[in-house]
Parts: sequence; structure tokens; C-alpha cells
Amino acid sequence: MTVPELGEYVRGLESWLDAAPPALVAACEPEPDYERRVEVMRALMGELHAAGWSRAGWPVDLGGTGGTILHRAAMWEALARRGVQGMALFEHLEILAPVLAADGPRDLVAELLPAFLSGRELWAQGFSEPDAGSDLASLRTTAVLDGDAYVVNGTKIWTSWARYATWCLLLARTGDAASRHRGLTALVVDLRDPGVEVLPIVQANGTDELAQVHFSDVRVPAGRVVGEPGGGWAVAMHILSHERGTFAWFRHCFQYQQLLDCARHAAGRDDAALGDALLDLLAVTATGYEGVAAHAAGDVLGPRAAFTKLLLCAAEQSVHDRVLANDTDLAVGVQDADVAVRRQEYLFSRIVTVYGGSQQMQLDTIAKQILALP
Amino acid sequence: MSLAAVPDAPPEAEFLSTAARAMSSERGDAALDRLSFWELLPELDDDEAAAAVFSALRAQGRALADTPALGGLLAQPFATALGVEQGTVIAAIRRDTPRRGEVWVAVGDTGGRRLLLDAPGRGTHVLDADAAAPQPVVVAGRTTVVELEVDLDGRAPDLPDRAAAPLRDRATYLARVGASAELLGAAERVVDLAVEYAGAREQFGRPIGTFQALRHLLAWAATDCVAVEAVVRRAVALRRDPPPRFGDAAKALAGRNGMRACQRALQAFGGIGFTAEHEHHHFHGRVLLLDALLGSSAELTHELGTWVRTSGDDPAYAEAVLHAGAP
Repeated sequence: MTVPELGEYVRGLESWLDAAPPALVAACEPEPDYERRVEVMRALMGELHAAGWSRAGWPVDLGGTGGTILHRAAMWEALARRGVQGMALFEHLEILAPVLAADGPRDLVAELLPAFLSGRELWAQGFSEPDAGSDLASLRTTAVLDGDAYVVNGTKIWTSWARYATWCLLLARTGDAASRHRGLTALVVDLRDPGVEVLPIVQANGTDELAQVHFSDVRVPAGRVVGEPGGGWAVAMHILSHERGTFAWFRHCFQYQQLLDCARHAAGRDDAALGDALLDLLAVTATGYEGVAAHAAGDVLGPRAAFTKLLLCAAEQSVHDRVLANDTDLAVGVQDADVAVRRQEYLFSRIVTVYGGSQQMQLDTIAKQILALP
Repeated sequence: MSLAAVPDAPPEAEFLSTAARAMSSERGDAALDRLSFWELLPELDDDEAAAAVFSALRAQGRALADTPALGGLLAQPFATALGVEQGTVIAAIRRDTPRRGEVWVAVGDTGGRRLLLDAPGRGTHVLDADAAAPQPVVVAGRTTVVELEVDLDGRAPDLPDRAAAPLRDRATYLARVGASAELLGAAERVVDLAVEYAGAREQFGRPIGTFQALRHLLAWAATDCVAVEAVVRRAVALRRDPPPRFGDAAKALAGRNGMRACQRALQAFGGIGFTAEHEHHHFHGRVLLLDALLGSSAELTHELGTWVRTSGDDPAYAEAVLHAGAP
């Protein structure tokens, strides 16, 4: 089975969606409970996988049907336009899965990627630590080779979706403490293994999808290295170029719908600001498209991904500024599910300039690597 | 550094450097002749011709060149319909001014060509430039702007309104994208100059570009430009069948971000940037002029907001961009 070209793929997908499968209808309902949100998205992904739609854009030898990231971009754009509320933890399909596909052990990824695509086994990303946030190269979780396994010890924090995940792509130190970014290795860790403890963090918006994860003498088979042993920094940079560059496309598709939903209930006095938010989204459409098109052509995104990340965050905050300005219920509090979701999303939009590399880190990257300021 | 570096679009980069050479070495019309601008205009459906034409506008913004390219682009669909040779007629731009009502302006030296005036409801008119009594307007930005004295009331149109209306949409789209490309050129050039200055100007014994506050300011200015660059490229790719109001949105973004970039660059230049001898005010003047013509960012942004609020339409810009594909 191979994927058709983009136009034909989308026509097929749209007619499948026209039939409104129950899993699609469920995923379009505002759902403040994250447990339930994950479940409805698992169900939808299961059906998209069974029908072949979510296999498009992934290599054939890894369980996909071929094609490029443009197919995935089209699938999520169509789902957003149909009213699906968000990607939930399938965000990681567009942040870390492309790197697993490019640099992971082929046999292992061929087994795990279909499980991820179909919603059976989900993934978390273990980068940040209590003392290593923006300064990622200072991380202290260790992985020591002992026979045929790495023994992992340490603590990760802000690990998105960890409580729902089976697998974690973990960045650990295999070199000495002074080795900084040269002594890191990326490992695939089974979160069901003994010695792993996932502690959810209750967040300021009431949800608890983030977690602190402790690793005590967790044994990881030595073959589960992504990239090269000692080459973890390159893997991390590759992932972050997706998180900052191509991922913007996927996330912003849902923000268009949030803005349009807000606009339908907005006051006329807000027109200029609504227009401004639309322009901010258009900037993400154009730069995000260039990111996915470059990736589809096999180009490396590099530091220019910082522009897209800045623009995505600016758009997300502009959109939610409008949501708040046109719905004081979310500030005052009403017990409806859709108001609760808007409140969660509004509060979350306040922190988007922190995760995935803070706004200040992106500005530093541009100043140094692109503008070449002294 | 150059914000123009587009890794995946070597033909565009090539057109841009060719256009930059022409715009900086020749004056006015001669630059357009050297770029075969008028011969390319009727070929805009061709991707390479379109890349060359819009690169010429972008290069014009960077070099602050003074040509009638924008009016030529605005006239193109009408010239084709009227069977007039490209380049012999330049479109004037209609303004609705709050204090003076309808005003017509022509941008760039029209070089004795005839003027095309398209007035919604009154059809398209072609006049001799002299008959329009052109009066030069003094404006920063190193460009020629003339106001025209015309009275279209009672004049028989050269193209009746019914025939002009469908051409008007296309002409407006092309001219808005062209103005956006020129806005981009002016904005990215003034940001380049500010970055250069920040690397050279010293205070407290070190270049001011080492101070994080200024580095971040300039990174935002570069981000303003990158957004316009990408949107203009998508607007060119979508020119055959643009989604609703895409040209309005591109022009609004280019004007808004162009003005922001000028403001940020001025902050980096400091006081010297606010002198007549410094180039900043020419770039700023060009950006202000282009923002004001063909729909300002303030009006277009407000209209876009009204549209999404009242129509219930999904602009589906992401879908359109994805399926228009390269270039």
C-alpha cells in the first residue's frame, strides 16, 4: 500500500470524514477532563490508522505508506477544520516521532511507530530537569553502561503527557559531569520498567498532564539508543527544530478554529484586534508551511525554526487575548464544559512562551546565529 | 547577514540579486527595462515571470528605487483587456481621504505615459498624463508621487464598470502583493542597516549589539520581516486562485510589520536615526507611503476582523497554502 499524491489523499480523507465516524464526532466535543480527552483521541487515531489515513507521511518500512510530512500536515489541517479540539498527546507524533523515524534503531521504531500512530502506546519526551531548563546541556540524569544495558538514574520534570505514555525518549548523561553537550545520549525508555516513578504535576490551569519522573537504577537495553552513543545533543537539537519549526503548522491549525469560534460571539468593537490575530495566524501559516515544505524536501531546518516558534507563540497569545476579551465567563467561572476548556486553553496560552525553548532563548538564537550580532 | 537567504528557493534568490543590481545601478525606468519588467507582466501566470516581477518590487524597496512598477502591476489586467501594450499605461491609485474625499495619485515617474484610472461604479478610464494636471507631492522615501486633478463624472469610460469589475479584483490582488513585496524590501533593508550599526556603534566600551535588550529588539525586527517574506511568497504562489481576502491580509501584515520594523530599527539607531542626513527616514517614508496606498493596515485589519465576526466563513488559509504548494 502506498500513499497517493497530496490532492488525491485529501479528497479521500475528506470523504471519509464526511461520513462522520463516531470517533470523529466525539473528538469534536469540548472536554475538560484530560483522561477522557486522551481516550477520545486514542479512539480517533485508532480509526485513522485502521483506515490508513494516519500512516501517510511515514516510511513504508516503519509501518507507514510513504509520502512526506505534507500528508501529515494535510491530515491534521483537515481534522482541525472539522472541529477536532486538539492533538492532545499526539502532538509528540510531530515533535519526537520524526526524529525516531530518522535516527532511531530501525527494528525498534518499526515496532513502536505503528503502536503510537494507532494510539496503543504513547510517548513522552524526557529533556528538562529541576536544574536544567533553558540550560539543557547541564542536565544530570546519568546513564551508565553495565554489560548489555544502560543503568539510568535521575529526575526529569515538565515531562508532557508522561502519565499516559508507555515510552519516553530520554536525554541522559553518558559522559562525565563536565562534558556538557558532548556527553549526552538519547535513549528509548520503557516507562513500565521497574525503577520508573511518574508523579503528575497539578498545573495552574487545573490539568495535570505534566509530570516529574524519577529513574532509579532503570535498566535500558544498550540497543535502544537514538542516534549515536554520545550523540544525544544532535538528537535533542533535531527534536527541538521540529518542536519549534514544523510543529507550528500542526498547532496553529487548531488556533484558527479557536479564533473563528471566538469571532462568532465577539463584539463589533473588537474587530481590529480580531483582524490582528488573524494576521498573526497567517504569519504562522506561511512560515510553518515553509518549515514543513523544507522538511519534506529533505532540508535541515536549523536556527530559522526560532522565527516560527516566536510567531506561533505570538499568535497563540493574540488568539487567546481575543477569547478572553469576548468571554468574561472564562474569567468569572461557569460550570459548562466548553467554558472550562476555554479557561484551560487561555491559561495555557500564557505559558507557551516558556516551553520548547523560552522566548528569550529563541531571540538569543536569532541574534547570534542569524543576525550574527557580536 | 541577509534575511533574503531562502534555502529552498534558489531561483527566487537569483531573481532577487539580479533585480537588486538593476535597481541600484540604473535609475527609474531604465532599471525596469533592464529587468524586462514590462515584457514579464503579461506572463504573470508563469512561476518564473511572477518570481521575477515580485522580486523587482522587493528590490525596489531595498534600494528605495523610484520606478512606476507598482502602477504598472495595477494596470496589467486592464491593459490586457483594453489591448494596450504593457508599459504604455500606468494605473493611478485612488485614495479615499478623510479630509479631502477622493484623491488620485501616481507613484514613480510616469515618464509621459498615459494614466489608467479605475473607479468602482464608474468604470476604467485612460487619460493623457498632462490632461490630469499632475502636481508633485513632497514625500520622504526617495520616490516620486504626483496628485492628479481629474473629474471622471460624465466622462465615458474606456472600459464599462461591468467589464472592469472582475479585472479590478485581480489588479487589486496583484498590486497589494506587489506593494507588500516592496514594503518587505524597505523593512528588511532598514533592519539590515540597524544590525550593521549595532555591531559597530560602541557605548560603555563595547558594541551596543552585545547588549541583550538590543539583541532581542533586533531579533524581533528580523521576525517581523521573516513573517512578511513568507506571506508574500505564499501570496505569489496563490495568485491564480487566492482564497478570500488573502491579498488584504498580506498587505495588512506587510504594512503593520513594516512599520514595526522601522520603529525597532530607529530605536537601535538612536538619535542619529532621526536626522535628515540619516537614511532611516527614507525607508520609513517609503513604508508609510506604501502602507497608506491600496488599503492601509489599519483599515484592512479592521475589515478582516469584521469579516470573520459577521460572515461565519472559515478563511481556510492553511488549507489553501498547503494545496497551492511550491514555489
